[in-house]
Amino acid sequence: MNQLEKMTHNIRNPTSRKKLLLILSGSLICIGWAAEVIWDSALLFNTFMIVSTLVAGLEIVRRAWQGLRNRHTNIELLVTIAATGGIVIGVYWEAAAVTFLFLLGGWLEARTMSNTRNTLRELINMAPDTATVLEDGNRREIPAREVEKGMLVLVKPGAKIPVDGVVKSGTTSVDESAITGEPIPAEKQSGAEVFAGTINKNGSIQVRAAKAGGDTTLAKIIQRVEEAQEEKAPTQRFIERFARWYTPGIVGLSIISYLWTWDLELALTLLVIGCPGALVISTPISVISGIGNAAKKGILIKGGDYLENAGKVSAVALDKTGTLTQGKPKVTEYIYLQREKVKADIGKSNPKKDEVSVVSATDLENGNIPDELVDLLYWAGIAESASEHPLAEAILSETPKSLHLPEPNYFTSHTGLGIEALHEGKQILVGSAKFLTHQGIFIGDSFTGQLDKLASNGHTTVLVARNNRLVGGIAISDPIRPEAREMIKRLRKNGINRIVMLTGDAGPAAHSIARDVEINEVYGGMLPDQKNDIIQNIQKEGENVAMIGDGINDAPALATADIGIAMGAAGTDVAIETADIALMSDKLMNIPQALKISKLTLRNIHQNVVIALVTVAALLAGVFMGSVHMAAGMLIHELSVMAVILNGMRLRWV
Amino acid sequence: MKTILRSHELSCPSCVNNIESSLNQAEGVTEATVHFATGRIEITHDADTIAADELQEMVQKTGYETTISKF
Repeated sequence: MNQLEKMTHNIRNPTSRKKLLLILSGSLICIGWAAEVIWDSALLFNTFMIVSTLVAGLEIVRRAWQGLRNRHTNIELLVTIAATGGIVIGVYWEAAAVTFLFLLGGWLEARTMSNTRNTLRELINMAPDTATVLEDGNRREIPAREVEKGMLVLVKPGAKIPVDGVVKSGTTSVDESAITGEPIPAEKQSGAEVFAGTINKNGSIQVRAAKAGGDTTLAKIIQRVEEAQEEKAPTQRFIERFARWYTPGIVGLSIISYLWTWDLELALTLLVIGCPGALVISTPISVISGIGNAAKKGILIKGGDYLENAGKVSAVALDKTGTLTQGKPKVTEYIYLQREKVKADIGKSNPKKDEVSVVSATDLENGNIPDELVDLLYWAGIAESASEHPLAEAILSETPKSLHLPEPNYFTSHTGLGIEALHEGKQILVGSAKFLTHQGIFIGDSFTGQLDKLASNGHTTVLVARNNRLVGGIAISDPIRPEAREMIKRLRKNGINRIVMLTGDAGPAAHSIARDVEINEVYGGMLPDQKNDIIQNIQKEGENVAMIGDGINDAPALATADIGIAMGAAGTDVAIETADIALMSDKLMNIPQALKISKLTLRNIHQNVVIALVTVAALLAGVFMGSVHMAAGMLIHELSVMAVILNGMRLRWV
Repeated sequence: MKTILRSHELSCPSCVNNIESSLNQAEGVTEATVHFATGRIEITHDADTIAADELQEMVQKTGYETTISKF
């Protein structure tokens, strides 16, 4: 590229053109001042100021003209009139300063705004442009959006995954922070779901494509975030109504004050401050920053409206299963009858002296499993391997891998009570204490005592008997998420005093979990529409309620609440659609975080509106008292716009 | 056809009107919407009459740098 081409390119590119004009007009002003100070030459000073005004004014006039052609009176037109008027009445320095500051302000604001919009640009860039597809053993590189459902995509270590799909072969760990905001990589193997825009860390994998291009979860998130940022918050709508009258009002005021005082400079100064810049930008800048920052953490806030509502939340209602708990039943405790080892030469257990012991599953993770327990898991496993009950899965996943479970010869299920199986002539019974008692199995007092204790702590215990004799029991519960307690504490610390638990679970588990996480208002045995009623009652008591659930069976309550927050929304479109705030991961701490970001954003908007209004009031007062002239007016105006933008940008680091 | 342009520099909501009307008056453009908050510019247009890079050029002329985006 030769010099001339480079120059024309620079002039055609808006950013470099603005920079060029800025440097030029700025230097002219400096030379003008130097001429004034060194040679005391008013002529040189005025000439340089006029030239500088023309240089900077060129861009402004061009845009004013463009606006006029589109039948818009814009701020550039006001500045053009003011600067022209300034030259006519001979205040050259003021005219030069006004045009220069206007350009400088615009340039700085564009740069900082661009910075604010960065978060989303990063997300968009997470999606790779091309994908390597495997067809009959051949590799072919195609644009990522053209990958079709069912195609096999190869993803090398270190590469970004180009589509949503399921791992067909290979194992690796994947950095899913673009989707979930979770920085710790997730382990993926055959059968695991992967998302476009996540990073394959260390293994080569083949992915069976499910969605590509604009249908991927990443694209949906980006689309959601953008819609959210574009949706106007109530404050913003109010401000925009105000701003629509502000500019014509100032122009009118300028004309009236000229007719009243015949002071042209006063009238022109009013025109300079006529742009409602800081005011119109006050709300959107906070909303963009707040929503953008939340999105980066895996918190999808669906719009300015919700941001304002979430900032006002005073009560929180939580679902239990899948929200406070992990939503997957797990074996937590074992009860077994310890065989007292009588002398080695006899080597036989003595059932008469059985002693009841309880051991928790976590204690066994690293230690040796006692023989009695292996026995318990073995017999329970044989019977459960034929069952499809949800608890069966929990029990079978605990069976040691070395233990081979044979198929039972006979199996029958007593619905709602338990199961019965036959293996090598031995009868196995697995079920509730009531079921076993009914089948004539003797359960001792100390064993029953342990059962009651476990039940009151929210466990469901499955008992196992072999050949009419009790072997032991397996206690199962849906474990609380480790950070649940801390999360509730944080909510209270953030000023939310009323925390309610709503659950479909009618048993003692609900109360035991509520006790553990320190929630004292519990509604158990709730159907979805009953949850809805509770939310409405709390609202009637004057609270702003946030409901937190898993998005599917809590849908009505999520919709009724002032703010519906859905958990673990990555990959489930329903949750993203129905909730006002969708948390992409299962990280509970994102709940207080989401409410905190909302609150801070709301506060930020209010601060910005105050900054803008105070500036306008101060400028108007200053102009009429005669202490603010054109240059100062423009400077203060541009400073207030910058102050508002910078204040909004603080939200990026919350 | 629909083209998405992005300009990260929009700094004053009033320029939105300017860009919008410039685009809407161009031949071959059915509808143009400028979203200030995100800087996203959605244009529905007839690709034979006016191409994406010509649209980009038009926005540049109003004083804002812009790029053509994949979504």
